[in-house]
Amino acid sequence: MKILGISAHYHDSAAALVADGVPVCAVQEERLSRRKNDAGFPLRAIEWCLDFAGIDPGDLDAVVFYERPMLKFDRILTSTLRAFPRSWRAFPQAMKNTLGEKVWVRGIISGQLGIRPQKILFTDHHASHAAAAFLTAPTRRAAILTADGVGEWATLTVGDGERRADGTTHITLRREVRFPHSLGLLYSTFTAWLGFKVNEDEYKVMGLAAYGAPTMLEEVRRLIRPLPGGAFELATEFFEFQTTADRSYSAKFIDVFGPPRHPYEAIDLETAEGRHFADCAASVQRVLEDILVGIAATLRRETGLDDLCFGGGVALNGVANARLLAGAGFERVFVPPAPGDAGCAIGAALYADRIYLGNPDRDVPDHPFWGPVVDAAHLARIAHEDGQHVEAFPDQVLVDRVADDLAAGRIVGWMDGACEFGPRALGHRSLLAAPHDAAIRDRLNRDIKRREEFRPFAPVVPAESADRFFDLPSGAARLGRYMSGVFPVRPEWRGHLAAVTHVDGTARVQVLERQMAPRLHQLLEAYGRRAGVPVLLNTSLNVAGEPIVTQAVEGYLTFRRCGIDVLVAGPTVVTKRAASASLKESREWSASSVAASTVA
Amino acid sequence: MMSVNRAAPLDRLMRPLHRWVWADADRRLRKLLTFAEVETDGGRDILRAAEVTPDPLLRRLYLEHAIDELRHGDMFRDRGAALVRARRTMRPVLLDGNPLPGGHGLDDLAIEGEPDHRLLAFLHVAEKSAAGRFAVYRELVGDDQPTQEIFEKILRDEVFHMNYTYTQLTRVSPKAYRRHVWHARAKRLWHRYLRAAAAIAGVFGNTLLRVIYFVALPPFVWLARRAERREPAGFIPIERTRGQRSPRSQY
Repeated sequence: MKILGISAHYHDSAAALVADGVPVCAVQEERLSRRKNDAGFPLRAIEWCLDFAGIDPGDLDAVVFYERPMLKFDRILTSTLRAFPRSWRAFPQAMKNTLGEKVWVRGIISGQLGIRPQKILFTDHHASHAAAAFLTAPTRRAAILTADGVGEWATLTVGDGERRADGTTHITLRREVRFPHSLGLLYSTFTAWLGFKVNEDEYKVMGLAAYGAPTMLEEVRRLIRPLPGGAFELATEFFEFQTTADRSYSAKFIDVFGPPRHPYEAIDLETAEGRHFADCAASVQRVLEDILVGIAATLRRETGLDDLCFGGGVALNGVANARLLAGAGFERVFVPPAPGDAGCAIGAALYADRIYLGNPDRDVPDHPFWGPVVDAAHLARIAHEDGQHVEAFPDQVLVDRVADDLAAGRIVGWMDGACEFGPRALGHRSLLAAPHDAAIRDRLNRDIKRREEFRPFAPVVPAESADRFFDLPSGAARLGRYMSGVFPVRPEWRGHLAAVTHVDGTARVQVLERQMAPRLHQLLEAYGRRAGVPVLLNTSLNVAGEPIVTQAVEGYLTFRRCGIDVLVAGPTVVTKRAASASLKESREWSASSVAASTVA
Repeated sequence: MMSVNRAAPLDRLMRPLHRWVWADADRRLRKLLTFAEVETDGGRDILRAAEVTPDPLLRRLYLEHAIDELRHGDMFRDRGAALVRARRTMRPVLLDGNPLPGGHGLDDLAIEGEPDHRLLAFLHVAEKSAAGRFAVYRELVGDDQPTQEIFEKILRDEVFHMNYTYTQLTRVSPKAYRRHVWHARAKRLWHRYLRAAAAIAGVFGNTLLRVIYFVALPPFVWLARRAERREPAGFIPIERTRGQRSPRSQY
């Protein structure tokens, strides 16, 4: 049975294919369209999934959309009515936006894929999140927590799931918090107020929080009131997301926290204003963590289960995930590699397979590599055409050679096999560098990533060595598998891991098991033999504002236009020539040379 | 070799309007920040062109072009940020000049599936038009030397962009390059018409929806608010019946 899962229309759309109960492939639309967080209908992603599996749309048994569009429309319309007459500006935009495309999902899917409407199914948004978290985790029974900005009406749900011995699967979401009361929207409101992009830059708030102290806790707590059972209620007078699409915080919010940061003005942590922004980030981060821990602890007491599966965009907050593990009483916390809306494509397909269609339970491979495979020969060809230095090596030689480069302080673009599904580079589309010196972090920020100085870089370490360098409590290795938790770097190693140690002494560490990415594991060991520390800085292979690279040519052009020294794909190694002649200066493009090249 | 000392007739005609936009510090700031985004987006589009073209020389040229555009975006952004720092506040303005044609106009660019000759023709026409307009802007910001220098630097790059696109067009389509340029001009005009038509339709649509909002919605407002008052705070139990809804239901 072949089931296609689709998430689309709000942010980060994606498609995933499940065949006979097991995911076959999945990819975010942005990785193919090259538009970051592409929210459009994921036609490229769908086509790629079908091509990869070698099937036509007619071969699909079902296509599952990750939420119920009319229920979402109901929420948008009702919210507009409740805010009457303040919503007069937002109403036309909301109606055009929704009625223009978003509610006609069945027709769009049917029209684009040429399949019968009866084959198109829908799940609840948070059921998709729950399925993506629970059905991909190696656990039989677990409590389930989902939290994001908003789905249809729900913003947070709790429940539990069980994969029984008889092959049946049960996911029961027991209660929910509804819009406008939302942890995700609280955090996003601060994201907007701090001058960052909503639904994209929330991780910057988390990074900034480490520079501040939670001195504004009381003020933040005025915005969100605790309720019995760990629930909460937003004080809606501080927010405007329910009445307008232009701004999420109200004038009253500004009265409490001060004027927002202009997005084009850098945060200067040396100034009182910069420190105030950092303090506010630290305060909202703390409140978010406290509420999540409260909800999860109640859930643990109610269910008595040892495992928690956590999904939804809020689960991208690695600091909060680590607090959940430490404070809620669960032994293990599972966060999938794509906990946000993109991951709902897999979640919806698995939910339909197990719950709607009642197919027997199957173990899902525990890795994030579901996307297109890099073509090393293509890289070799385009680099050669461009006059770069191209070599090919057998595996062990290549690993030793790259380890030498890293030990010499070079920055390496590392492409290996299928690309990751989700926002993290977990070793198949990564930029690797030595983790010891803060100067390399600054070089990465300045010459390659071109991003804010306050944002940390993550380390990757073999699972068997992780405890030596990082203070990992029980269960942390699981969170670290997909870089989903932030944990302290052991004090004695902080100086030696300066490029990956955040200002508060922590790191969002990836704990790598050999089976998950054998070549990267081999490289870590080889680097360890040279540097004495089998740890590397691992960040995504992209430039700020662009999606992580997918194909060889995208990696190559990224390599060509920024300070990456070496690019690797499969056996191919491209080393940057010291100075490539500029075509602008060489006039190679001009008529005489053109004539020559045409004749040739 | 083409030069960019002279603006297009339309831009010369619109000079008073451009002067009005650039004379005001807030409008100037907004315009610069908009240019930053437009140039960066254009740079990414051209980078995509470099990724998809099978022609090695064009790949290098597109890459160089994209790097220029991305750098222009950074220059505008840095200048905008400097003005923000200097002013600290931005008052709202009635018209910020952004609906006016400006920047690159690469937002009409469609990369995937376009053959190189069409892309080159489009880029050539767009670059030429942008260069002419930037020549006007360069003169209008004479009181602001850093901004003027940015336009000066960008204009130097535009000469390269205009020339390489034209030269390469003659290479990849030696027999029909003139036709492709005319086709690109016509397509740009058509897209401008579509954009204007969509904007006018948008105004009508908004007006109609606002009439509906104030005339037809008030009775439902009362119902929606009554439902809100009855909604319990905090956790709401999820009824078992929800799980029994048809998988085909969009509700």
